[in-house]
Amino acid sequence: MTAFDPRWMNAWQDTVNEDPAMKVIDRYFTTDFLIGFGDKEYLVSMREGSIQRITDELSIETPWTFGLRGPRESWEKFIQRVPPPMYNDIWAMAHPLHGRLRMDGDVKVMWQHLRALTWMLDRMREVQTA
Amino acid sequence: MAVRHDPIVGKYAYVTHAGREYRVFYEEAGEGIPLVCLHTAGTDSREWRHQLSDPEINSNFRVIAFDLPRHGKSIPPPGFEGEEYRLTAKFYSEFVMAFCDALELERPVVMGSSMGGNICLHLALNFEERLRALIAIEACDYSPGWFISWLHHPEVHGGEACATSVFGLMAPQSPPDYRWETWWYYSQGGPGVFKGDLYFYSVDHDFRELNERISGAVPIYFMTGVYDFACTPEMTNQTAGKIKGSEAIIMEGIGHFPMSENPVTFKKYLMPVLDKIRGAAVGTGKEAAGAATGR
Repeated sequence: MTAFDPRWMNAWQDTVNEDPAMKVIDRYFTTDFLIGFGDKEYLVSMREGSIQRITDELSIETPWTFGLRGPRESWEKFIQRVPPPMYNDIWAMAHPLHGRLRMDGDVKVMWQHLRALTWMLDRMREVQTA
Repeated sequence: MAVRHDPIVGKYAYVTHAGREYRVFYEEAGEGIPLVCLHTAGTDSREWRHQLSDPEINSNFRVIAFDLPRHGKSIPPPGFEGEEYRLTAKFYSEFVMAFCDALELERPVVMGSSMGGNICLHLALNFEERLRALIAIEACDYSPGWFISWLHHPEVHGGEACATSVFGLMAPQSPPDYRWETWWYYSQGGPGVFKGDLYFYSVDHDFRELNERISGAVPIYFMTGVYDFACTPEMTNQTAGKIKGSEAIIMEGIGHFPMSENPVTFKKYLMPVLDKIRGAAVGTGKEAAGAATGR
């Protein structure tokens, strides 16, 4: 599978939803957030700590709370089994010193669920990538 | 079978600073040159448990780690409930020295990480005659970007948010158990304490115009892990390049919490530094006596 294509995203969704820790660390994680890998953007719909749906059918009318968007190259490093320094974490990439990822929208929701969000994004490293 | 203990002993000391008396918790182990260890922002002295317990360290050093007021088992000063906590370079550096004085430590080595590393610069500038050496871990002259409101917000779980915000500062090579232990320490800080410490770390600590004023009389060993995105190796190297009598050591495969996230890797880099400090102590008769008798 090619990283960040719809099949890959669905495989990530399955990995997250089957992860035992995700079932306990944040049962209140219910929101729709945006994730962007270069030009390719998805809406991830979280419901009670699980990914209910991922879609790339976005329009200007699609509501979302917070967005995580960065160049594809940032995410390609992030998902490496052993990611290199400065790319091993979303806050590492987004920190003002580095600017390799943009966090925007209602970031309060992101901070409220940072633990589960970090955990589920780390699961991307378990998805098979061509 | 006898129960297994760490060699660490914990005590409470009363330390006076600026007319206020603080009840300060500290842990110690070993005998020899006093080695005072400073914890990182928002957490406490438990971070140093591996170094406190290591016989190769505590056979030559009296290793002491204390909790700053409001951290760990050191209670806040009376009246804290009506104050916004903001750690300053002035209070922090003076308090470190007040603690050393209270314990009657003679020319201690001070080793600190993150904000504990940054404060070493202020200690070098203002208290050089009272110090033997400084080990400034994950330190540089300016580390912006961390004084953020979400770390103390009624709609955000402070423990989980603070702990997770620092999780990525640790290297993927560090053992998961130790990384999660560090996360746990961070999850236990009092409300607003991490953010208040970060006021020092990211705002009040701006040493960029002061680097050249350090005389170089006290050796400063900078040690920074390659996964530290708050204080990168480049930031440390740039700072060390401006400070007389300093040396920068860049540590591979480790991040912002060397002592707690990966004590084995950290030790490989730390022991040569401690050996140098001991060597300097043995180099003169006076220092050798100090090293032998310790306290």
